[in-house]
Amino acid sequence: MTLLAVVLHVVALLASPIGMVGVINRTKAIWAGRKGPPLLQFLFDLTRLLRKAPVYSHVTTPIFWIAPLVALATALVSGLAVPLLGYAAPISFPFDFVAVAYLWGLGRVFVILAALDAGSSFEGLGASREATFGALVEPALFLCMGTLAAATGHDTFASIVHVGLGSSDRIATTAGCAIALFVVLQVESSRVPVDDPQTHLELTMIHEVMILDHSGPDLAALQYASAMKLTLLAALVAAVINPVPFQTSPAIATVTHLATMLVLALAVGCVESLVARLKLKALPQYIVVATVATFIALLATAWRLGSGG
Amino acid sequence: MTFLTLAQIAFLLGAALSLALRNNVHRAWAGVVSQLIGTTLTLVCALPVLLGDGELRATVPWSYPVESVTAHLDALGAFFLVWSLPMTLMGTLYAVGYLRPQFASRNAGVQFALLNITSFSFVLIYTLENAMVFLLGWEIAAVAAWLLVIWEYRSQKTRFAGFNYLVSTHVGFFVLVAAFMTMRSATGSMDFGSFSNFLRIPSPMRNVTFILLATSFGLKAAFFPFHTWLPRAHSAAPAHVSALMSGVIHKAGLFGLLRFTLLIGAPDAWMGWYLLAFSSLTALVGVLYTTAQRDLKRLLGYSSTENVGIAGIGFGLGYLGLSWHKPVLVALGFTGGILHILNHAVFKCLLFYAAGSIYRATHTVDLERLGGLIRKLPWTAFFFLLGGLAISGLPPLNGFVSEFLIYAGLLHAGAPSGIERALLIGTASLLALVGGASALATVRAFGVSFLGTPRDTTVHADHDASLSMRLTMCAHAVGVVLLGVVPAVALRIVRAPAALFMGPASAPPGSAILEAAGLLEPVAWTSALLLAVFLVLLVGRWWLVRGRYTKHVTWGCGYTGTTSRMQTTGTSFSAQFASSFESVLHFQRRERLPVGFFPESPGHLDTYNVDTVERRIFEALGEGQDFSTKVVARISEEPRFAFGLGLVVLVALVVSVFVRGDVP
Repeated sequence: MTLLAVVLHVVALLASPIGMVGVINRTKAIWAGRKGPPLLQFLFDLTRLLRKAPVYSHVTTPIFWIAPLVALATALVSGLAVPLLGYAAPISFPFDFVAVAYLWGLGRVFVILAALDAGSSFEGLGASREATFGALVEPALFLCMGTLAAATGHDTFASIVHVGLGSSDRIATTAGCAIALFVVLQVESSRVPVDDPQTHLELTMIHEVMILDHSGPDLAALQYASAMKLTLLAALVAAVINPVPFQTSPAIATVTHLATMLVLALAVGCVESLVARLKLKALPQYIVVATVATFIALLATAWRLGSGG
Repeated sequence: MTFLTLAQIAFLLGAALSLALRNNVHRAWAGVVSQLIGTTLTLVCALPVLLGDGELRATVPWSYPVESVTAHLDALGAFFLVWSLPMTLMGTLYAVGYLRPQFASRNAGVQFALLNITSFSFVLIYTLENAMVFLLGWEIAAVAAWLLVIWEYRSQKTRFAGFNYLVSTHVGFFVLVAAFMTMRSATGSMDFGSFSNFLRIPSPMRNVTFILLATSFGLKAAFFPFHTWLPRAHSAAPAHVSALMSGVIHKAGLFGLLRFTLLIGAPDAWMGWYLLAFSSLTALVGVLYTTAQRDLKRLLGYSSTENVGIAGIGFGLGYLGLSWHKPVLVALGFTGGILHILNHAVFKCLLFYAAGSIYRATHTVDLERLGGLIRKLPWTAFFFLLGGLAISGLPPLNGFVSEFLIYAGLLHAGAPSGIERALLIGTASLLALVGGASALATVRAFGVSFLGTPRDTTVHADHDASLSMRLTMCAHAVGVVLLGVVPAVALRIVRAPAALFMGPASAPPGSAILEAAGLLEPVAWTSALLLAVFLVLLVGRWWLVRGRYTKHVTWGCGYTGTTSRMQTTGTSFSAQFASSFESVLHFQRRERLPVGFFPESPGHLDTYNVDTVERRIFEALGEGQDFSTKVVARISEEPRFAFGLGLVVLVALVVSVFVRGDVP
């Protein structure tokens, strides 16, 4: 990767979460018949939060304010290993996707600990749910990445996602992995139908309830990290379903990649406007959808590898 | 070799002194000093071997029926000695602080003597290549561990746990004796070298022997379904004994497996699949139990089962690599697996020591009664968190390094065909579930016991760990960080033992290992980058906040009448996860609910998490034939015959696999 590409990647990593959240919220506003906040509202919110002085509970310990920093640091570092612009990533080494998944795990563990740190029963509920669904979604993510690695014959994140729509015999692999990754996106970044980022005074929420007690820069770090994870997962889905192969025309492919990400943001917004949140009891089944989809993709890949295709 | 003999004498003398001296403090010193001398002498011997300076071998003539005893210290034995003995020394040091409150009332000499004997037995097991003497060392270690467990022998629970352990370990012993007898009758010798001649040639008896060996070593290392003795023994034993049993003593089982892998040479593919399935199941069931335990030490005990499973997945992968002639898989599998043994020893001992320090401060390890301990026990909290993050395999700590190697092996494009590749990828995703559940167990254990506010006002935590306990934990914490952040150190330690498995066939024997090492370099850089980014953010936050913050009460969502009993409990934290795995995580409720609108007597509700496997085993043993009849009766009439037929076919298949060595 050239220096320019690295700079572009970092700029995209820092800027695109704001755009993604803006587009999702605008989509939801249009469905609701409202004008909606400006596209950069998330940025304004973050800067406002950064200026504020935080409030800490008497119960909390340093873990409470270290956690948002860990979450943001893991999101930033993992963002350098994900092909955000579609074709390459600044950090790329064999099996880097394992490291990315575990970095997200580290961030999640600290956010959960911060939630338990406040000693509130509400936050404990959210923490328990986050830990549960985080654990349940892990196999789908790994099955998906293993399938992509087997289908492409590569072993770095930036190269395995180019499974391609081109050949018809790969359609099962591509579709299965895309569906699985989209569900993983909804779980990992707390979107409807798994979680509702809007309501944070309900007993049914997951991520928002965990960060009830956070304020000021800490809250900004948590929200930014969460939006970054959403963007990274959207970039993965976009790279998998990108119709233009990167080998032929990198410039056009990058444009279509970014356009696909935009479409995904619209899709997330539409799902949030049109679908109700699932019951918590039904969530494990919803996550199984992802596992089954990627399992079909894996079987299709194995069959193709076995038949020498 | 002279040094090893001297070390053995030092251990025995130390044991004798600990028993003979009159004062507990003197006994403790005798134990620590003799351990120190013995460990240093052994390290002088073992370190050069581990770093690749050839092997040590000596033959001593012996009386009938052993005839001669071959002591052979190769890289594998040296690897196990190099961390087992120092960690036993650490355990002894910790025991000084841990047993101190009981010095006035009890004779602690027995504990110190037994710790010396444990070290003594390690040297026997890891160096001797004669079945008879190997079994002797095996038995010494088992009995010493049993005696160590029953330190609090006045409690009936402890005695029961002790006997349970003693019986289980002897069942494993008999299976091992059966395996050795099979090999002895085939070779006419008790020497491992001649066993190898038998094990190298594929034969039905080799398959049987492999199953016997895997069962026996699996029982020692607490593989599922032979794990049932372990959580009991671990929760009953003093903290240093739990730590050493879980982290060090029962690694002898994995050593046995590895030693006989070397003797087998080129295993069949089915052995690899068998080991992989056995280990995956072990890791999964172990971690599921981990998520639902109330007793902190039981929880840690189950997580040992999980971690030997993870190491076993690495070994299974190595077996497959050996039978497919893929040196990269062999290197990744065995390097990852062996490294995970070391890593597990380090973080598991750290966690048990932290749990012991909780027990010393509060006199309980029941999660539901703890809470907010981080204020009273800041050192313990820090060490527990570090160990917990490491055991969940999170970067940048040591658990991640070994798990990364195993993942790399499972996801590597080394499998010969599509379906085998798919099976390995499936195993990787199972390992991911294990990782996620293990993270859940960690945050649950740490969050419930250390964070929030105390749940039970009758529990008082008055003092943090004593100096000797803190030093011990600190040493282990350094290991956790060092092995994680600088994986080159870890790889240097496991390179020689892993290279043994590559065999002479691979052209430059170390090249595949070096490839595995190359994989870890960027991981280390990523960890460094993570730390750097974190530090930058830390400075940024400090600049933004600049000490401007206000203190307030926790936001109660409009409800302010909270009591600390309302916090999330350990049981409720894992309830939803456990409900997804109800067949394994069975909750038993004992309840008397209040009756009527104005109940006259108070109700109560207790929930227990029982070990379903153990219960089923007892049911099967106790009810015998009735049990199988009941199970069969549950299958409806129509498919029952088809099911029976299927079973017959399965048995026939299994028999034919044993007899012919492959699927017909």
